[in-house]
Amino acid sequence: MAERRFEDLRWPAEDPIVDIPELSVQLGERLIVFGPNGAGKTTLLRLISAVESEGGTPYASYLPQRPYLFRGTCRANLHLGLDTEARIRAEDLAMRLGVGDRLDDQARTLSGGERMRLSMARTLAVDTALVLLDEPLAPLDLRDRETVASVIADALAGRSAIIVTHDRDTAAMLGDRMAVMIDGKIQQIGEVAEVFATPSNDSVAAIVGVSNVIDGRVIARRGALVEVEWGDHRFFALGDHQAGTKVKVLFGGEAVGVHNRPMGESSPRNLFPGVVTEIRETGRLAEIVIDCGSTVVALITPGSLDALDLAPGSEVHVSVKATAARAVAVGEAE
Amino acid sequence: MEFLADVFEAAFAFLRDSGGELGEVVLLTLVVAGLATAIGVAIGVPFGIWLGLGSFRGRAAIWTLVNVGMGMPPVLVGLFVLLLLWSDGPLGSLNILFTPGAMVVVQVLLAVPIATGVTAGAVASLSPDAREQLDALHLSLPRLGVVVAKEVWPGVTAAIAATFGRVVSEVGAVLIVGGNILGETRVLTTAIVQETRQARFGAAVALGVVLLIIAFSVNGTLTWLQFRGQRIG
Repeated sequence: MAERRFEDLRWPAEDPIVDIPELSVQLGERLIVFGPNGAGKTTLLRLISAVESEGGTPYASYLPQRPYLFRGTCRANLHLGLDTEARIRAEDLAMRLGVGDRLDDQARTLSGGERMRLSMARTLAVDTALVLLDEPLAPLDLRDRETVASVIADALAGRSAIIVTHDRDTAAMLGDRMAVMIDGKIQQIGEVAEVFATPSNDSVAAIVGVSNVIDGRVIARRGALVEVEWGDHRFFALGDHQAGTKVKVLFGGEAVGVHNRPMGESSPRNLFPGVVTEIRETGRLAEIVIDCGSTVVALITPGSLDALDLAPGSEVHVSVKATAARAVAVGEAE
Repeated sequence: MEFLADVFEAAFAFLRDSGGELGEVVLLTLVVAGLATAIGVAIGVPFGIWLGLGSFRGRAAIWTLVNVGMGMPPVLVGLFVLLLLWSDGPLGSLNILFTPGAMVVVQVLLAVPIATGVTAGAVASLSPDAREQLDALHLSLPRLGVVVAKEVWPGVTAAIAATFGRVVSEVGAVLIVGGNILGETRVLTTAIVQETRQARFGAAVALGVVLLIIAFSVNGTLTWLQFRGQRIG
């Protein structure tokens, strides 16, 4: 199976909440479906789950947004519907997700985050080629999210996943590609960083914002910041990850300053030279796409655009305040 | 007051003096009501789970039929079964009219809608989250039944209690198809009718007390199971 392809995802027939002519997910790919509340994301997952159930196995393993635990112990819930091998995998996953010591407790005594983690262990333990996760990190706090995200990424290795979220961090931590869904339709689909940096239209920009996502690896911790190796550059961002941790650094386009000459000593820690490749004047602000080795998008006012006299090909200097950039881990430290 | 005192004195005397005859009536009552409840629950609870969970065409119509069945007058059901089992009737060859077998049959017909309706009501009250989780789990049908029955356990025990209450207290249908034959088809309720009609009020009251004791014991046990289930939950 090179890819899983779904056609005519449409429900209900009249006045559909979801209307997607075609959606594909590659083998081993984690596809994020990103959108605001009420976009039809959960309905989409239910539709795909229903399509996958037709004709029996193999079906997609599906984690609902509000996983439900039945009367009985956590272990009984963890084992529900699993064969012996899957039960062993589920207990191992429960351990790694931090609920391994709760298995003999009554399921009803778990907190919201623990319920999600126990259900996650069961969902990931099912040996299906496709896994569907609905807001998997929503009930967890930021610190737990990174651990859980790395366990999810590990458990999904070699399998395909469709992950629904309205949260940028979740998209950045878990996604390979990202589809932006608004009013039941996919508006844009592409690499996560690309979609965040270059929304294809105003409505996508309004939902995802104009954001930058860069990949890197932590070199060192410096107080409240981490120093991240980013291509040939060093990038400082908020974080407390150990050296060696693979991270994504997120910062908004509004956090990027554009200058027409090198800055002297200044408070922004991140200063890079670059070349303007594209200028988009959408709405009240201008998006400046700058190649600094890899792409950074700055969001500036038309007044600044005029003052700087920018055009494609202009050589510029870019600054990003470290305190406006945040690193999130995407894997264990090596 | 003197009349009532006489009645109660006669009731005590009846309980003291009645030997094997009362025992036989009590035993048959327990066997017929117990069997009818067991069969009714064995059919009605799974059927109720299916009806409560399902989303299919005709569900509302089936639910309506079940509700009608829950309120069906026992004498009508008794008459219907009598006609079926009559020697010239379609099932006359079975030759079970005026036997405990016929009484079990008629009471199962009364029991199934009660067990179904109460269970389906409990299952229908499962939260949307629980339903979505059940969909996501892709359980085998028997496993699904067990998980749901455990989840709505207080509802299932209520269904058993309501079913047993219906059949053990019922008199019209068993009288019609059983015939209240002493030593063969006489149960507590038909015996109470018999004694009352013959103005032997003491005996009638005594039999009523025995019926109450049975009802209390069975429902007490079920309530204990119900609460135990809730504690576990």
